[in-house]
This record gives sequence, structure tokens and C-alpha cells, in this order.
Amino acid sequence: MTAAIAAFVVAPAHAAQPAPGSIAPDFALKGIDGRNIRLSEYRGEPVILHFWASWCGPCRESAASLDALATKSTTQVVGVNLDGSAERARAVADSLHLQSPTLVDTQQTVARAYDVAKLPLTLLLDADGAIRASWSGVVPNPAELTPQLDRLRQP
Amino acid sequence: MKSIAFLLVLRAARLAPVVAALALCGSPLTALAASEGEATNLQTVDQDVQALKKQLVDLNRDLFKLEEELLYPASTQVAVFLSVDVGTFFALDSVTLKVDDKEVANYLYTEREVQALHRGGVQKLYLGNLKAGSHEVVAFFTGKGPHDRDYRRGTTLKVDKTVGAKYVELRISDREASLQPEFVVRQWE
Repeated sequence: MTAAIAAFVVAPAHAAQPAPGSIAPDFALKGIDGRNIRLSEYRGEPVILHFWASWCGPCRESAASLDALATKSTTQVVGVNLDGSAERARAVADSLHLQSPTLVDTQQTVARAYDVAKLPLTLLLDADGAIRASWSGVVPNPAELTPQLDRLRQP
Repeated sequence: MKSIAFLLVLRAARLAPVVAALALCGSPLTALAASEGEATNLQTVDQDVQALKKQLVDLNRDLFKLEEELLYPASTQVAVFLSVDVGTFFALDSVTLKVDDKEVANYLYTEREVQALHRGGVQKLYLGNLKAGSHEVVAFFTGKGPHDRDYRRGTTLKVDKTVGAKYVELRISDREASLQPEFVVRQWE
């Protein structure tokens, strides 16, 4: 019992993944194009927030499919790259021809705030910045996303 | 805490007639009401809703002020603000603030935020507590300087914290003579 309490006390503080319905934690990061972007500045429209890294195969696939969805349906997709290197992130984004903004979380601070345990992590945020759906470790199907986005766009 | 409870009770008492009016509004009786009286009633309900919204905004402001007073009492309060005056020789990217060699704020500015600062906005960069005595405030500014070159500058200020609240302003301005940006730190009592 004592050991269990000690383990609990000694365990480092760990941010839990934001629950559906809660407001997505705000952050500002530098993009691969050098621009700084703050998540809360997208309030007023639905946003797909996508955490990915170049070493993760499914991440590349989901980054490309979400980017295609963004281009096709004028949906705002914001990618957060966890490679730790802006050059590496830029090279991979260029090779995938990504048009959506790709931000670089070099210090992994945003990844910690969102408790990213499995990649890719995709979150669907509504116009108020609240989390409406999330997909961890799997590539969300664009066919599944489109009706959800349409519902979020309805007044 | 008692004052918050009192405020809430007071608000609840004030809101009771509005809630009753809203409840009546949704009942089937409304459908049977005469059309003339209906318009007047709707107007009254609308006024009540507006009053209710105002009361909520007031309550929120009161609670915010109370929270700030409790967390940052005037005797220990230190606030650091940032403003930009002209700023044609420097495009702000980020500011890192250290108090007594401890990083207390690190802010990355978006294009929209920089524009707001250029239009005269003042940002509260940091609000914290410091005990009376001498303290060192260091601010590092990064961005693009003249000729679009990467620019990083630090500025230091010795702050003598007394009994009252201390306000520090970091101001970015232009030094026309040398065509360079200038970083000014001022204390307000």
C-alpha cells in the first residue's frame, strides 16, 4: 500500500488527453514556412488538428489524405510535426506536397499538452475550438470526416 | 468566499422573474395568448434577456477582479506589459522574459498579434508575485531587424519592489538616427 502511494506521489505530472467536448488547449508554434500560428486564431470554423512525424508510415498517409480533403472541401487542416527538426519536417512536407500549414513542435510541449501517446493523432475541433472527435493511431477516413464537418458547419 | 456566495444569491433572486418569464414563453399557453399582448410580452422578454446577459457579464467581471486580487495582491504584484511604437526596423517574432534568472514567460507572436501591437495594443506579458526588494528583469526579443536580418536583443532592468504593485513596460520603438530598433524598459508606479 505504502509502495503504491509512494509510486503515485513520485510519478511525474502527466497531462491527460483533452476529453471530447472540452476546449482544445491553445498553443502557438512556428510553421515550416517561418510563420507563427496560434490555434485559437482559427476560431469560427471547424479545424482538423493532426499530429504526425516523418518516421511514422501511417502518419504520412493520413497527412496526405487530410491535405487532399482540405484542398477539396476548403477545410482547415493544421498539422503538428513532432520530428524535432524544422528542416526534416519541411523536407517531408515538401515531398508529400502538403498545402496545409505544418507546425513544428520541436520541444514537444504541445504533444505533452495533448498527451500524444500514439501517432497519428487526429482531432476534429468545432468552430468554438471544442473537441468533437478524435482518432488515435489510425488514419481517419475522409468519407467519415466529411459528414461530420458538414454538421459542424451548419448554423 | 462568502462574498461570492452572497453575489450568487443576489443574482439568483434578480434572475427569478426572468426565468419564470422564459418558462411561460415556452408553454402552450403562449399559443393561446392574444397577438397584441404577445408582441409586448416578447419585447419584455427580450429586455429581460438583455438584462440577464448584462448581469452575467458583470458577475464574470466581478469574479475575475476578485480572483486577480486574491492571487496577486498589490503588495507583491508585478506586471510586465509589451507595446510597440512604430517598429518599422523590427519585426517581432518572440519575447522571452526572465525574472531573477528564472524564465517566467515565452511568447510567440502571430502576424495578427503583431498587427494589433502596431495599432496601439498593449499586451500583458506577465503577471506574478515578487517579494519586496531588488529584482532583475531580463527580456530577450527575437525577430527580423533592418535588411531582414535575424535579430536578437536583450534588455535588463533592476526593479526595486516596494509595498505597492509594480508595473513594467517593455516598449519597442525606432531609433531614426541609427535606423535601428530600440528596446526601452520603463517602470510605472
